[in-house]
Amino acid sequence: MSTETDRIAAGQLLDSLYLDMFHLIEAHTQSRIDIERTNSSGAILLARTKFQQGGQAISTAQIPTENSAEFNALCRVVSVAEKKWAEISVERHAVDKEKGYMEPLHWFSVLPPLSLRNAMDKFKKCIEIVAESTNVQRELSAVLSGIDRLRRSVALQ
Amino acid sequence: MLKSTIVDTRVRLRPSKKLLALLDAQKEHFEEMPANVAKALKDNGYSLPTSIKVLKENELVYKRPTIDTKLLTKLTADIPEVPLKSQVEDVANGEEADDQQEQTVKGNFLYLNDIHWLRDTLDKLRQQKKINIFLYELLENCELILPENEFKPRNPELEARCQRLRDEQHNREYHKMTKNVDATLKNVPEDTIAYQLKSLNKQIIAVAQFIFSVAAGFTFGFFGVNLMVGPLPFGFRILLGVIVALIIALAEMYFLAKKLHEYDEVLDAPKRKKPEPPNVSGVQNIKPHVD
Repeated sequence: MSTETDRIAAGQLLDSLYLDMFHLIEAHTQSRIDIERTNSSGAILLARTKFQQGGQAISTAQIPTENSAEFNALCRVVSVAEKKWAEISVERHAVDKEKGYMEPLHWFSVLPPLSLRNAMDKFKKCIEIVAESTNVQRELSAVLSGIDRLRRSVALQ
Repeated sequence: MLKSTIVDTRVRLRPSKKLLALLDAQKEHFEEMPANVAKALKDNGYSLPTSIKVLKENELVYKRPTIDTKLLTKLTADIPEVPLKSQVEDVANGEEADDQQEQTVKGNFLYLNDIHWLRDTLDKLRQQKKINIFLYELLENCELILPENEFKPRNPELEARCQRLRDEQHNREYHKMTKNVDATLKNVPEDTIAYQLKSLNKQIIAVAQFIFSVAAGFTFGFFGVNLMVGPLPFGFRILLGVIVALIIALAEMYFLAKKLHEYDEVLDAPKRKKPEPPNVSGVQNIKPHVD
């Protein structure tokens, strides 16, 4: 009898795992689309800035090189080890010049144009969605391995 | 071909014959049924009793199921994690076997809500001891269709335009590169005196503007402040004039430098809207330079 209740429990668990997998696939696809949208609108805004300001306004020459002074990263990926799959999140630090947190936007100009600011916001958002998408993907692979192992355990019974 | 954005993010499931046959066998126990399931049944030649209420898409609301992770770890405690390779083989073998065993039916798809309904229904039927089958056993034979990007051909008009712009760009670069090699090409775009005078005029105007504004600043410092405040010593007036003129000169210098730099760029790039570069010597044609 105990094997029978076990079988039922395993079956129900497997059913919910399958449904969860479908949900996660949909969420993952949605976040992929969001990444695509935000990234492309950011790129378009960047192109708009170049168009309005001329080709020299935004270029790689303004980005610090190896020889320039070092600075700390404003945005870091940290892992939140609360759940089984190591979840990650994006941590942002406020701009603080004295402690070495530079505002990258100011490399390009002291008064950056609106479209450049908007482009930066879009790319920031994009990074956050990428982190979300990674979490969903990890969760999905956890569910998939769960399904696989549970199926083998059911097959053994 | 271009990949376009995914329009429909939903996961679709093509029901197998086994699933439909099971639903058909149990149909007297159903009170209601989602529209997609009903349609799939009807399209494949099964009839439905009129007592079944067909639910529309928006009447079904389901949440994500919660997974009992403790139970999962308990049940799978003695199952080792297998390397990925054998897993893939397993899946491939399983798929082949499924293909041979059971053909999926044509036509309708089931969506996530329908699968939720199916699970709940199977749950109820299992409790009433009418069937003894789980959803996962049914899903194994179904075809899962994941959302995919559509491929779109690129607009030929756009392609032609891009090609034309690319050609122009290459031509311009080539022209710039060979300008100081070939004497006949040296002054192709700026060969006329009018053109040179024009660009010279522009620069002269910019410089003249600079001089005027500096002079005006000096005048203000020299006379204006004297008129406003009252009689001032001559040396102080000169000092004031020079200070004001200096401030204005500094500000103006920035703009002047910017403007002159722009002229340089304009002179470097030959005029854009020429379908064919002018043929100076009449002997040599400029070859379009395309990679």
